[in-house]
Amino acid sequence: MAKVFIYPATSLILSDLVARFGHKPLGAALGIRERIQTAGIDSPPLQITPEEPKRGLKYAAVEVPSGVRGRMAIYGPLIEEAEAAVIVTDADLAFGCMGCARTDELILFSLRQSDIPILELNYPANEEEGVQFVAAIKKFLAGLPNGDEA
Amino acid sequence: MKAEYAPDYIGTVTKYVFVESPHMTPGELVLRAYEISEGVLIKETCFGLQVTGTSEAVDRLISEIRTFDPNHIFVKDRGFPPGDPRRCRANLGGARPGYLGHEREFRLLHYITHGLEALERGKGVPEMVPAREKKPRLDIQRLQELIDEES
Amino acid sequence: MSRKVRIAQLSCGPEYSGVQKEIYDAAGAVGAEIFFPDIALADVERAVEEFGLDVRSADLKLMIARGLALVDGKIDADGVFIGTCFRCAEAAIVRNELRRYIPEHSRLPVVSYSFTERTTAGTLLTRMEALTTIARRRALLAREEQTGITMGVDSGSSTTKAVVMRDDEIVGTGWHPTTEVLKSSDSAVADALDMAGLTREDIQAIGTTGYGRFLVGKHLGADLIQEELTVNSKGAVYLADHQRGASTVIDIGGMDNKAISVIDGIPGTFTMGGICAGASGRFLEMTAKRLGVDITELGPLAMKGVGENVPMNSYCIVFGTQSLVNALAAGSSREDVAAAACHSVAEQVFEQQLQEIDIKEPVIMVGGTSLIEGLVYAMGQLLQTEVIVPPHSQYIGAVGSALLASGFIKGE
Repeated sequence: MAKVFIYPATSLILSDLVARFGHKPLGAALGIRERIQTAGIDSPPLQITPEEPKRGLKYAAVEVPSGVRGRMAIYGPLIEEAEAAVIVTDADLAFGCMGCARTDELILFSLRQSDIPILELNYPANEEEGVQFVAAIKKFLAGLPNGDEA
Repeated sequence: MKAEYAPDYIGTVTKYVFVESPHMTPGELVLRAYEISEGVLIKETCFGLQVTGTSEAVDRLISEIRTFDPNHIFVKDRGFPPGDPRRCRANLGGARPGYLGHEREFRLLHYITHGLEALERGKGVPEMVPAREKKPRLDIQRLQELIDEES
Repeated sequence: MSRKVRIAQLSCGPEYSGVQKEIYDAAGAVGAEIFFPDIALADVERAVEEFGLDVRSADLKLMIARGLALVDGKIDADGVFIGTCFRCAEAAIVRNELRRYIPEHSRLPVVSYSFTERTTAGTLLTRMEALTTIARRRALLAREEQTGITMGVDSGSSTTKAVVMRDDEIVGTGWHPTTEVLKSSDSAVADALDMAGLTREDIQAIGTTGYGRFLVGKHLGADLIQEELTVNSKGAVYLADHQRGASTVIDIGGMDNKAISVIDGIPGTFTMGGICAGASGRFLEMTAKRLGVDITELGPLAMKGVGENVPMNSYCIVFGTQSLVNALAAGSSREDVAAAACHSVAEQVFEQQLQEIDIKEPVIMVGGTSLIEGLVYAMGQLLQTEVIVPPHSQYIGAVGSALLASGFIKGE
């Protein structure tokens, strides 16, 4: 079972397909869950404290807006942990954790810079593309270590 | 004025289960899930349900739930436990942003279902255009020809 | 207490900057509650198309859609808080356009802020207070005439001002540097009463404003304790005799500056800045001291000089002062240096704050610094308009408080 970063990190479709085909999806929920289940200073709604944008300095310089650095404090460790990534490049309406275009650009760049296998594709817009989409993901995941051969 | 935060549900995992099926309503899904829940917390939602429990118990339940209607049931991790006031629509005045993201992908689920079914049937897969490939620009000589034809 | 004021939040990034709680706390402290306008995905797609600002970030699209839902009246709110990350250009464009669009197309008061992870509830408090006051006290703010005998006290960071008013006229004033908040206030009050020939017992209602408003308000048993944004707006249009229609109020204070776009005496949009002392009255005080003149002589001195003759390459109060000292050493005239200092302060307020609101004429300058004519001249030059300085402009907060306090006279 490989750890597969999903982009958008909030994607239901990618989270489902990665798990369905036998791997562990790494998405925003994991980072949020960790914070929600850790005691500390009360900082609703996401338990992201003002310390997190400072931790985000590891991934983005101080002149980068705090919201980008705070988000990178969630995604940076997940990207470092990832063994592969599935990216939907036309994810234009992913909100909240994925709602900042600058962060999203930095996430994609970080993934592409790392030496992990990456599959990039677009959302399906018809049934034929639906078949292509699922088949491509299935094939990519099967080629990962400990994946089920398609 | 720094208040302390004491979390609930430590060590648990919560997952969303979405159903988009002609064979099964969210209500039916919940009833069948209850029967096999074995202590895993289940909460009904408008799109399906949420399950909360230890990682192993949730995984077991999810794999059983998936068998109800494999190509119409979709599962995703959630950061918050169910009914958390910080994410509740009633407290926020509106849906949390993630809800709209689900709405976006919900529209596409029938394509995914179609894809899963087609692969199950062993249907051939049509060639796919890579996501980042740019459309080739019109060749400059061809453009000149077009201009000449028009004039 | 009356029902909570409902403030719609349009934002991108506060949850991820760790400052959402600060926004909740600031709203809670002034009896308001934050909510997020509820819309569907189709609303977002439609709104972005309709508004025509095609940004990349989905949360900014969400802001636009929520803003339009408020303007269309699909969702009820008493006020709007717009917040985005400091230093994000994409968000700044959306923030500015929404701040302009919402008041133009609705009656909703708007306050906007660009935050960092260091933003605290304290920073947001005065803004939230003004927002809730506008929403909650429209009737009170509609007052255009002072009645009975009332007193207003403005406990500012540099000076404490007191004014006594009777039947729509100022009959007594007092002014003291703020040293100990209550002592300074007592002295200013005593002077104002003395000048009016009245005693505390004659006063029918009291209003307080400024940094020390809570402390002084409690001490005096004030009927109205109110932040300076609404009070100064009210005071400015009252003194300038321009209570109806649009105007712009600029108050360069000792510790922070306010720029308020006012409609019918009520603030529409406003900004408060206070990060850099180089853009404050404090810088002019230091300049006066360095030039060996009283602060009251700085304005006339500046009017005789030409600011452009003095090279100033920093806004900072430390380096800016250094530039002035260097200029004097290099042979610049005191007049030119005074003019350069005035221009520097005006320019910084112009660039950092006045860009954030829509400047509508007349432009009214108030507060102690409005008496420095070199500063008023520099601002007029930058805005290409004639700036009005009403009589008693230095007592603006105290006058506004006294005016509004008359709404609390028994039987009123």
